[in-house]
Amino acid sequence: MLTRGKVAKADSWDSSQRFCNHLPQPNWLIILTQVCLMACLVELPSLVAAPPEAAAQAKDASGPEPSSAEEAKRIERGSQIYKQNCQNCHGRSGQGSEDQYEHALIGDLSVGSLTQLISRTMPEEDPDACTGEDAAAVATYIHTAFYSEAARVRNRPPRIVMSRLTGEQLRQSIADLYGHFTKPPATSDQRGVKATYYNGTSRKSEELKIDRVDKVIDFEFGTESPGDGIDPKSYLIHWEGSLKVDKTGRYEIVLRSTCSCMMKFGSRNRELINNHVQSEGRDEFRREMFLTAGRAYPYEISFLQRKRKTKQPPARVSLSWIPPGGIEEVIPQQNMIPEQLADTFALQAKLPPDDRSYGYDRGTSVSRQWDESTTATAIEFAEIAIEELYPKYRHRYRNDSDENRSILKRFLAEIVTVAFRGKLDDATRKLYIDQQIALSEDDGEAIRRAMLLTLKSPRFLYPTLDAEHNRSQRTANRLALVMFDSLPSAPWLVNSAAKDKIQNDAQLKNAARRMVDDYRTQAKTLTFLNEWLGLQNTDEIAKDKELFPGFDSHTIQDLKKSMNRFLQDFIENEVSDFRQLLQADWRYTTKRLENYYGTAWRPDMTKGHPQTNQAQIIQNAAPQEAEDTKEPQDIKHDDAQLDSMLTRSVRDREIHAGVLTHPLIMSNLAYHRTTSPIHRGVFLTRRTLGRVLRPPDASFTPLSAELHPELTTRERIQLQTGEVNCQACHKQINSLGFAFEHFDATGKFRREEKAKQINATGNYTDRVGKRVDFNGARELADYLAQSEDCHQAFVEAAFEHFVKQPITAYGSGTADEITKSFRDSGYNIRELLITIAVTASRQPIAATIQP
Amino acid sequence: MRHKNSRRDFIRNLGISGAAANLVLALPSLGWEASGQKKQRVIFVFSPNGVIPKHFWPDEEGETFELKRILEPLAPYRDQLLTLRGIDNRIKGDGDGHMRGIGCLLTGVELFPGDVQGGSDTPAGWSMGISIDQHLKNKLQADAATRTRFGSLEFGVMVPDRADTWTRWSYAGPNQPVAPISDPYQMFNKLYGNIQNRVMLSSVLDDLSEDFKKIEKMVSSEDRQILQQHAELVRSVERELKADLQRAIDQQPADNITASADHAVPKLPPNVQEQNDNMPLISRMQTDLMVNSLMSDFTRVATMQITNSVGNPRMRWLDIDEGHHTISHEPDSNEDAYEQLIKINTWYSEQVAYMAKKLKETPEPGGDGSMLDHTTIIWTNELGKGNSHTRNSIPFVMVGGGLGFKTGRSLNFGNQPHNRLLLSITEAMGHAEKTFGNPDYCGDGPLTGLV
Repeated sequence: MLTRGKVAKADSWDSSQRFCNHLPQPNWLIILTQVCLMACLVELPSLVAAPPEAAAQAKDASGPEPSSAEEAKRIERGSQIYKQNCQNCHGRSGQGSEDQYEHALIGDLSVGSLTQLISRTMPEEDPDACTGEDAAAVATYIHTAFYSEAARVRNRPPRIVMSRLTGEQLRQSIADLYGHFTKPPATSDQRGVKATYYNGTSRKSEELKIDRVDKVIDFEFGTESPGDGIDPKSYLIHWEGSLKVDKTGRYEIVLRSTCSCMMKFGSRNRELINNHVQSEGRDEFRREMFLTAGRAYPYEISFLQRKRKTKQPPARVSLSWIPPGGIEEVIPQQNMIPEQLADTFALQAKLPPDDRSYGYDRGTSVSRQWDESTTATAIEFAEIAIEELYPKYRHRYRNDSDENRSILKRFLAEIVTVAFRGKLDDATRKLYIDQQIALSEDDGEAIRRAMLLTLKSPRFLYPTLDAEHNRSQRTANRLALVMFDSLPSAPWLVNSAAKDKIQNDAQLKNAARRMVDDYRTQAKTLTFLNEWLGLQNTDEIAKDKELFPGFDSHTIQDLKKSMNRFLQDFIENEVSDFRQLLQADWRYTTKRLENYYGTAWRPDMTKGHPQTNQAQIIQNAAPQEAEDTKEPQDIKHDDAQLDSMLTRSVRDREIHAGVLTHPLIMSNLAYHRTTSPIHRGVFLTRRTLGRVLRPPDASFTPLSAELHPELTTRERIQLQTGEVNCQACHKQINSLGFAFEHFDATGKFRREEKAKQINATGNYTDRVGKRVDFNGARELADYLAQSEDCHQAFVEAAFEHFVKQPITAYGSGTADEITKSFRDSGYNIRELLITIAVTASRQPIAATIQP
Repeated sequence: MRHKNSRRDFIRNLGISGAAANLVLALPSLGWEASGQKKQRVIFVFSPNGVIPKHFWPDEEGETFELKRILEPLAPYRDQLLTLRGIDNRIKGDGDGHMRGIGCLLTGVELFPGDVQGGSDTPAGWSMGISIDQHLKNKLQADAATRTRFGSLEFGVMVPDRADTWTRWSYAGPNQPVAPISDPYQMFNKLYGNIQNRVMLSSVLDDLSEDFKKIEKMVSSEDRQILQQHAELVRSVERELKADLQRAIDQQPADNITASADHAVPKLPPNVQEQNDNMPLISRMQTDLMVNSLMSDFTRVATMQITNSVGNPRMRWLDIDEGHHTISHEPDSNEDAYEQLIKINTWYSEQVAYMAKKLKETPEPGGDGSMLDHTTIIWTNELGKGNSHTRNSIPFVMVGGGLGFKTGRSLNFGNQPHNRLLLSITEAMGHAEKTFGNPDYCGDGPLTGLV
């Protein structure tokens, strides 16, 4: 069953995750057996319930599969009877008819109960006409065809489902609701920290001695002067910039300072650390917080060495973090922007995880826990509105009349308008603003009330609940949702929507183009690429310490950085050719990675990097970072930091065979001691090539490597999956997975296993039946780069990640059309995102209104 | 009426969720004492810049004494008053007089070396030790019989929005200053935010359900399903909230004087900004909140820090335009300044009197007498006298019966280190210690003659 469509999706994402998650340790044999069995069982409902296209096709061919020939006969008979006696009133598929019986024949009675009911009551004019076997036949037929829930799900065409905001969308929307009152989010190509060094402890312009961009904050001045003309006993250093966050999650910020220091974060008025008083023994400040991706958080740090009668402590300061799932490090230059961008607010409330059963987050269910999290969100936002937004607003309009609390009214109207994504009608304004203000004498309380009501309202929580707005507004709402996971808040977008200026495709495309380089879109893309590469859960990678000495948490952290930087560059690159992802012949490397992975991982010291054609960031940053060894003398780096400085590696087509052979992926798709061609093959089949694999017929325990010491991994797998039954799938799986056999369980390149030459030959038969052979990962990578299956799988995965709706809901030809335009653009991922955004924002305009 | 059940049993019997338990706990009536033990509370009140001793300390010692001008507002509580003259803050080390005046007042220990330089002496950092209020909090919280929701509450009145040695008197430990909350609305949120939000939520949800009906009409029947589920969820939350609130009110012990939940949450005047001229109003709001939270047994230890060391409020409501600290440096010969300082300190005294009044007027929940009978207010100061910066004879004035000292007296200890008083306080609260702060000043143990 190699059909495309929803079945493929539900099956491939679902089970490949389950499969990967449950296969990691070959020695967990018993558990594994059970899990495989479970996987089969669990898989069934998703196949049955799998709605759209494929199921519809299946129905056309054979109808819902009858369990026996007898039942098939009964259904056939029931169908006949229904046509003759029931259809007239109930409609061809039970939908009812206006003048006879208008209700649809749907419900949850069993076939038995339904039989009884029909026997007793139908047909209305002669209830005795259809009883016994006849009634049973009709009951069976309508139950299977349209009456039951299962039938209804099966018959439902793929459609765009109205969804509530997902957790990430809620975070992003709240951030932009706040951001509406500050400057619109901006981006910057510069990296580092803006630094001004003053002689003496005040920021007098005549005492400014150094004005530069520091790469990171990590200094050990001791008792020396930090620079010419600065009194070592009395100085002030002011650092400012923005912290660029690419991944949503919990971060810990660690500021270490032996001198007086203050840190603001998120806003110039939001104090994070107050160590105005230097006090012996108090020199480490840790702050945990939840940060939202795609945002730059402005911060500033003042560091003062004060002259005093008593002995001064040696001056030392550093700014580090522990990113989600990572280990502590000095905040890298890559995440620092040397200017303070707009004030930013990150929601701290804990939100429950969203449904991911289709492979992407979906807000298609509501629960008590979720409802409570929306309350917490509303209260948290109300507090920041009271504390920061409202005072600023009052200040801005301090000369206006405040009769009847009109400033408060206008303030709330502005928030509610943005939150509801469009102009407010009178009734809405009255309910959400006027009524709430009237109930609270205190402004703060009024804001709290209004926010509680607004942010818990479906008008905010369901982003496409906007049928009453104009076409441009609805388009803008979808654009912001697809691109940013958020709501329209930037003035240009809000204004274009209000003036109804996003009407035609050209206007839509222009708007989308303006949004594609935004940090929010980039962060969303980064998350997508990580998911596409199966890297959402890489916290658990661990390998046998004796077999792989040196493959430790630091190495893994460096691999993550290497991958992350590579993907970042790819996203920021103007060309961002998808094929480059699959074919790149270099990596970001560190000294530690070079030590472990060998000479192909040594830094490329040549300047300019011909034919890279990568974004300027690579051309500039890579050589720049290679020079990081020549730093101002006062920068201190312990060995661990020097070891993890990122640079570009030399090129090697064989060892660096595209992103798929990056050790982070190779080690993720491997066992504790050996590789796993099956995991790798399943990953390639399902995710990279978008093909369907049904779950195994029965559970199997991988053959133990210890029991077959003479066999290579390839031979062992072949031995186990050689049976005809297995070969139905494993022919495909193995012959793809084997191509990666040059990469051991830690992703290190090898030429031999068990003193035998690695055999990395493989093949693939594509959707149209064409077979390709390849030898090794490079040939596979080059094939994938031009494989239509691969392109289409990528397009669909991207579409569903960005839009959070099945692509088939946008028309059966949509996937092909977008894939074609992707190809025509030279596989440019930014163009792809624009096309996706345009497609998804254009379609649902004709909202159905059924009062 | 005796309450045999523990608080947890009560919650369990109500059959409500953890979140709702919070809500219920926020209601004062349910915060009765866990055992029959007499409830003891202590409040520390700070005012800055020393006093005018001549118009502060009674001339006589013992039970017969005349109150001077500054203490005159406390006359209604004379029977429960104790003035303690002759207690010195002897802590030396880094920091100027003001810094040590506030930083060592409740800690009885030196400041760390640091970089904050005052007008004289050496620079310093934070205190090297815990303060007595936090120490008592830890002790009381460690015992189920005296454990409360917060353990301690730190109020401020016009404490400037900066963290330094002059603005902190409470310490959770070495180098761990505790910031007071000066914004009454912020304190209100901390105390009642939960219940208020839930009460507000229950009324807001009513409006929301109304809008749901309209919104449902805007979508297709298929999409309506999730909205209907959502609306049902909202209605059930609303029902539960209302039921919880009603139950909490119904289940109040009959002997509690606070009849309804409405009274449980004090009402603050709206839109009061933290501005110099609002200081009298803020002081009152904070005191009301404090008395209310004590009544609800949210805590048994509280501090009220009025301004800060070197505090410089302009008491225009007393027709004094210059700042307090500035005036406090004037020599005694400056008659205007001298008179103004008496007025200023009398105003502080009035704040203490208002607190005593509120406590006196409130019957002890679940106990005998008034709350003042179970509470001791300890009003103190960073300095003995402003223009000399002396830390001898630090003003220590107690009002109330919480510590069980023999009140209605004027005492003079004649130069005893204040560590001994701190020892007396912790002993009186049922947690005697051998030393508190710098042991060198604790040799003779708690003060004698207090009981």
